[in-house]
Amino acid sequence: MDSSRDDRLTATLEELRPEPRPEFAAELDRRAAAGFPRRSRLAALRERLQMVPPREMLLPIGAAAALLLVVAVALTATGGGSEGGSEDGASSGGEVLNFLSMDVDESAAPSRSTAGLGEPSAGRRDGAATRASNRKVERSAELDLAVPPDRLSDAASEALAIVQASNGIVMRSSLERDSDNPDVAFFELLIPSGRADEALAEFSELGDVLSSEDRTADITAPTVGTAEHLREARARIEGLLSQLAAASTEAERETVEAELRGERRQVARLRARLADLKRSANLSRFSVAIFGWDAGGWSIGDAIDDAGRVLSIAAAVAIVALAVLVPLALIALLVLLARRAWLRRARARALS
Amino acid sequence: MDRRGARSRGVNQALVAAAEEAPREADLAFERLYRSSRDDVYAYVASLVRDAGAAEEVTAAAFERAYRKRSRFDPSRGEARAWLFGIARNAALDELRRRGRRAELAAEPADLDGARPDESAAEAERRLAVAAALARLEPGERELIALKFFAGLGNREIADVVGVSESNAGTRLHRAMAKLREACDGLL
Repeated sequence: MDSSRDDRLTATLEELRPEPRPEFAAELDRRAAAGFPRRSRLAALRERLQMVPPREMLLPIGAAAALLLVVAVALTATGGGSEGGSEDGASSGGEVLNFLSMDVDESAAPSRSTAGLGEPSAGRRDGAATRASNRKVERSAELDLAVPPDRLSDAASEALAIVQASNGIVMRSSLERDSDNPDVAFFELLIPSGRADEALAEFSELGDVLSSEDRTADITAPTVGTAEHLREARARIEGLLSQLAAASTEAERETVEAELRGERRQVARLRARLADLKRSANLSRFSVAIFGWDAGGWSIGDAIDDAGRVLSIAAAVAIVALAVLVPLALIALLVLLARRAWLRRARARALS
Repeated sequence: MDRRGARSRGVNQALVAAAEEAPREADLAFERLYRSSRDDVYAYVASLVRDAGAAEEVTAAAFERAYRKRSRFDPSRGEARAWLFGIARNAALDELRRRGRRAELAAEPADLDGARPDESAAEAERRLAVAAALARLEPGERELIALKFFAGLGNREIADVVGVSESNAGTRLHRAMAKLREACDGLL
């Protein structure tokens, strides 16, 4: 009895089963046979967007905005991460900081470059320098190079050509030849700070770099202080001149003139000091030594060194990339998980 | 009872093989799945969205989605038909969400009203009574019945589609059928 009732119920349910229209079935068969050809992406996207209620657009729009914000923050962080104050840049890290804080008002704005280290982009340099337009930086560099002995004279000539092309000054140069030691050419140079990077790079290409040292020192405070003292001294002179004009007795006049002489000496000292400081900021001091050593060509050791350098640069690039990509990937994952959970709940709500 | 389920026998194995074989095999396997499931998917979707036009759109969209994802089908995670009906379910529920309508699992009114030319008055009355009883069930219960009797899925496949355990699916289906029988008592 129950069994026949169940059979009738099952049969009735199957009778209630909706059937597709033959036209629809034929059209679907045709599309299936054609491999469900895609509509144009634009049309599909437009259609899809039209079907999504504005309320449901909030989550993806919010996620996209958050992602954009993160990218902007990451770019800002990587673009300005090297900024900061550093009074004395003897170390390489300090050099980077000082380099980014140099004076662009000076015609010979200094910048940093050390063999083996990458140069910052011009845009980054300009931006950073503009933000610290009143900074004065003194720079000096020492570079030891090795060239084959028979190339020493040529290398020395090329070094002088570089100085000339940079509008630099050769303070001292010497070529030492000694049977017990390798020949060496020394140069003490002043290079306009604005050309210092290029010059350093060109010097580095003259031979194998044995050692390279690049120092910077922030001289903003003494420059500003000296300029202020100079202004004060000049003001005092103006005051003394007024007193002198108003002096009525010889004794009074002599006293004022004595003070005036002292102040004028002080002004001369301050002007000389200020000129020194400005020269230090405008001209970078270079010490270049070129040794006539036969390095024996490119050796296995050189290859290992080069490989190590390439690997370390690749690792650095990978770390920077990860620092940007990992947070983005985490946020994308969180958005994806949240969207899935929300979609699951929304579908459950649609059914119930 | 599982007359449509019988049609799909062998499809799973074909699709499993297809995932590991040449693209042509995957296409053939999908074609077999499509042929064996087209009307079943439509019936299930039509029961959910209760609108013939929308059911056609959703059915087409579900097959299109499945076709695009056919290479990502993981046989270790379930049957091919369950996978296909899972896609169809999501597409149908998305359509319902878009339209802000509640799921109605009963067949379309046009199919329920009026007697068929070849049926007796008693049969027509029984059909209307079952349809009315079906409409009074909870949406989740009606979906289970649609999956079982309209789409021809087994309990295990239903469990995969709905996302519950097989025993849970069986229990819920049993309860739904009991309620349906009780509602139709005296007319069967």
